[in-house]
Amino acid sequence: MKIVIDPTRCQGHGTCAALLAEYIEMDKWHYPILSRNQLKDSHLEAAKKAVQLCPELAIKIIE
Amino acid sequence: MTESTSTSIMAPSGARRLTLGWDSNWKTSNPEIAFAGDAQSRSRMSLSDHISNYGRIPTGFTYSLVSDSLRVANLTGRGGAKFPFYKKLAAVYQADRKKGCYIVANGAESEPLSIKDSTLLKTNPHLVIDGLVMVAEVLSAKGVYIYVKDKEAHSAVNAAIRERKERGFNEAKISIVDAPATYVAGQETSVIRRIEKGPALPKFSIDRVAVSGVKGQPTLLSNVETFAHLGLILRFGADWYRSGRSGFDSGSRLVTVSGAVGRPGLYEVSSGVSVGEILREAKAQSVRAVLVGGYFGGWLNVRDESELKLTYDDVTLAEKKLSIGAGILGVLSKETCPVVEAASIVDYLTEQSAGQCGPCVYGLPEISTAFARIALSSNVDRGISELKAVIPLVERRGGCQHPDGVIAHVRSTVAAFGDEIKLHKAGKCSVASSSHQSMLLPKKSQGNLAAASGR
Repeated sequence: MKIVIDPTRCQGHGTCAALLAEYIEMDKWHYPILSRNQLKDSHLEAAKKAVQLCPELAIKIIE
Repeated sequence: MTESTSTSIMAPSGARRLTLGWDSNWKTSNPEIAFAGDAQSRSRMSLSDHISNYGRIPTGFTYSLVSDSLRVANLTGRGGAKFPFYKKLAAVYQADRKKGCYIVANGAESEPLSIKDSTLLKTNPHLVIDGLVMVAEVLSAKGVYIYVKDKEAHSAVNAAIRERKERGFNEAKISIVDAPATYVAGQETSVIRRIEKGPALPKFSIDRVAVSGVKGQPTLLSNVETFAHLGLILRFGADWYRSGRSGFDSGSRLVTVSGAVGRPGLYEVSSGVSVGEILREAKAQSVRAVLVGGYFGGWLNVRDESELKLTYDDVTLAEKKLSIGAGILGVLSKETCPVVEAASIVDYLTEQSAGQCGPCVYGLPEISTAFARIALSSNVDRGISELKAVIPLVERRGGCQHPDGVIAHVRSTVAAFGDEIKLHKAGKCSVASSSHQSMLLPKKSQGNLAAASGR
């Protein structure tokens, strides 16, 4: 499974970076940088939460 | 399609394939280069003239025949991506087309320096339509669209469609969609959104357009010139198209020449001509630099005339890290500083961001500011270190090609004009004049670089 972020939707709220610190860091403008995107099973719950909590519906988990 | 003619048609040869109907001003001193002027005054070729010039419109193609012809012809997309067209066709053909597929000819031509696509549509829309209806038949397309730049192109295409209807042509129905006059309107996903009646803004997508384009269905999207060539390849054959030449750039292509030239406008050139030969026909003198490909293209530093011997094909240009791109040659004379010109273009492109993605919205102004420091000789070292820091934060982080295109322009400038930048480091410039008049930006977009550097 992979994490993808739609940069056209993202407004830099930072929820995903807070929940998925191992995968996402914020740049100096406070937009997410995906340092890796292959999602480990043990992080699936956190990733699902990030998907639910993103106010812009910008983050997705794909097969 | 029932059209037939009693006279036998000669396949057009040399540089006059797409410009065959432009009978007056096409003459140049080089038979491999045809001049089509600015095409503003030219009228649309009627369907009868089109058929008497090029012959009747063939029909009944199979996928394998079309695919083989395009592969042998080596036809590549003429919008700048230089992707082999038969591969694009295969991607759509092999995709899940149960719910139908779509075909789109992109004539947005958002590059201000290009006039080729709108000219082709205004003067010979039937050539483009021929190519479209031929592939529409092969793919059993559900919808066919031509995305047009302006009113003139719209009405020429509209009139052409009406003529074909009146002749009783039994072929795919074509819809015309108008592109707004913005730089990002020509991005693939912007075109799709506009066709779906949305704004002409880029959209993020995991899938390629060939798999998921218009209404989420497989979509064959290419530049209008690509479809015009296709219509001729399927008439006269791949061997005719190659005319004994090999390599990626067989056939002819449309080139817009602008900037410091005596005869700006549209040219059709055979493969194998050099950049210098084209510029000679365009009456360029005292050339300092050439922007090759367009704003997302790259610079050729012309230290002496021999640099212009470069053959105008993508294999040769690639050796100089250049590409034909959208078929643009923008010429600067020795009266213009190329680095200042490049910085003005980057500033224009910064303003043309769709404003959707953070790295583009915040990153491009920083790139533009840093680049202006180099161009204005105010603080080159600072400009370069700022560029090094900000580019990695922007590159490949946008939802479309726009920010990466800007970065490509910056990199090409720095790589090509080391000599000029060295002067700027010493607080100087090769051009004495303090006021810069841009040669390659639209008149109304002449920006203020000094303002950019202080942003």
